[in-house]
Amino acid sequence: MVLPVWWRKRIPRYRFVGALCKDCGRIHYPPRNACPYCGSRNLELVPLPRRGVLESYSIVYSVPGDNRLNAPLPIGLVRLENGVRVVAELTDVVPEKLEKGIEVEAVIRRIGEDGETGTILYGVKFRPALGRK
Amino acid sequence: MAYVTSVGLVRVDRNYYKSPRDLAFEAASKAIEDVKLDTIDYVIVTSSLTYLQASQFDLAAYIARELGVNVRSAFTVEAGENSGLAGVEVALNLIRSHAAERILLVGVDKLTEYISNRTYKMIQAIYDTESDAVYNVGHAGPMALLMRLYMDRYGVDRETLAHWPVMMHTHGKENPYAMLRFKVTPDKVVNAMPIAEPITLLDAYPLGDGAAAVLLSSEDQGGDHLAKLSEVYSSIGFQSIALRDDPLSFEAVGQIAREAGLNPEDIDVAEIHDSFTITGILLLEELGFAPRGKAAEMVAEGAFTKGGSGPLVNASGGLKARGHPKGATGVYMLAEVAMQLAGTFPGIRADSPRKGIAVGVNAHGSSARLAFLEAL
Repeated sequence: MVLPVWWRKRIPRYRFVGALCKDCGRIHYPPRNACPYCGSRNLELVPLPRRGVLESYSIVYSVPGDNRLNAPLPIGLVRLENGVRVVAELTDVVPEKLEKGIEVEAVIRRIGEDGETGTILYGVKFRPALGRK
Repeated sequence: MAYVTSVGLVRVDRNYYKSPRDLAFEAASKAIEDVKLDTIDYVIVTSSLTYLQASQFDLAAYIARELGVNVRSAFTVEAGENSGLAGVEVALNLIRSHAAERILLVGVDKLTEYISNRTYKMIQAIYDTESDAVYNVGHAGPMALLMRLYMDRYGVDRETLAHWPVMMHTHGKENPYAMLRFKVTPDKVVNAMPIAEPITLLDAYPLGDGAAAVLLSSEDQGGDHLAKLSEVYSSIGFQSIALRDDPLSFEAVGQIAREAGLNPEDIDVAEIHDSFTITGILLLEELGFAPRGKAAEMVAEGAFTKGGSGPLVNASGGLKARGHPKGATGVYMLAEVAMQLAGTFPGIRADSPRKGIAVGVNAHGSSARLAFLEAL
């Protein structure tokens, strides 16, 4: 991973922002150049709800690159409160206690680091939801 | 249409002593050794990893130059795990448009050049590097999410799903070109080392090196041929499983199956993409070979093996047992279906098959292709 690649995506990745299609009304994440559903370019950035439900999960052992040292890593398919789905890493979980349907919330966490410069790369991960909404 | 004239396969293996170019040379030489050729119009190399593994651009020209045949043009086609059938699609269209009489397709990839975590990093790039593959999902993560979703939705247990790799190993054991030539039991599959729960090592394709070559000819070329390549259907899908209304639907596969007017009862042999158990199961359902949620049960009942109620599926052993050298896989599939139709496949054979298909996808279905072949 080279740094400009990460830097270009800093807004959606650090602020957890999606794109609303003003033609078909659907929201997707991360924002793309065109709506994945209708192809429209008439898009507006919108903040995404931080909470959702875990629809599926996995504990990944075949972890790529230097992050192998952190294996195994939990990942999940999360359905946010507005229906938008996200594939992301999970954090702060006990693998044995993971189950379908638990409520999760988005937090900023370290995803890895750039091998050459050592810069730490952050992004949104999901953890079991704490407290009230 | 075009003819599949001849094929050349290298056994998928950990070929530490052979470079990608050595493997390609071996497969290509086997494909053309018994054919009288003046000129090959195009050498199309399909590979998705060779640039990363061997730091080589313009690979096709370097491979073509060593063949000792007059070659007009050479280029490389890349479409991730679907590269092989993408090359078939390009070749068929060149022949149909009368731009070529003879095309040599050479698929090659090597997955054992580096230690496995480095390879996982390279092959994770089959997924969208702007969304899912930002994370450390590896090559299996998104498919593991689908496997658990499938088990939950349809109430299919882990052991029933294990019958897919069991069948693949039973088939692969008879195929001299398969990487894994031993039988496994459902119990072994379930209890194998996890690579991305609930996917275990025995649900996943092995990391291996291989090359396959197929010589395609136009209708005007006389001589003997193995089979007819009638059509290649192609489609693209969503960037992520998260974008689908139903994450379990491989919409690009459904699209090409409809476009092809695929009637499972008409198909005698099929080679389908089974990077993981769940990929094979979902493709069987998307192609209409099994109702939703029922494919694993049908596999366990022997529906897709020789003498079963359905077509003979993955007599090669599939990606699971034959192996999956990425960009080469689609070329293996084409060669295997053509040999089935000609009655020359060196493993388990269908009884006088007339129609066959090869179906490939990249990753979760970012692209999908279906090649339709007929016996001569």
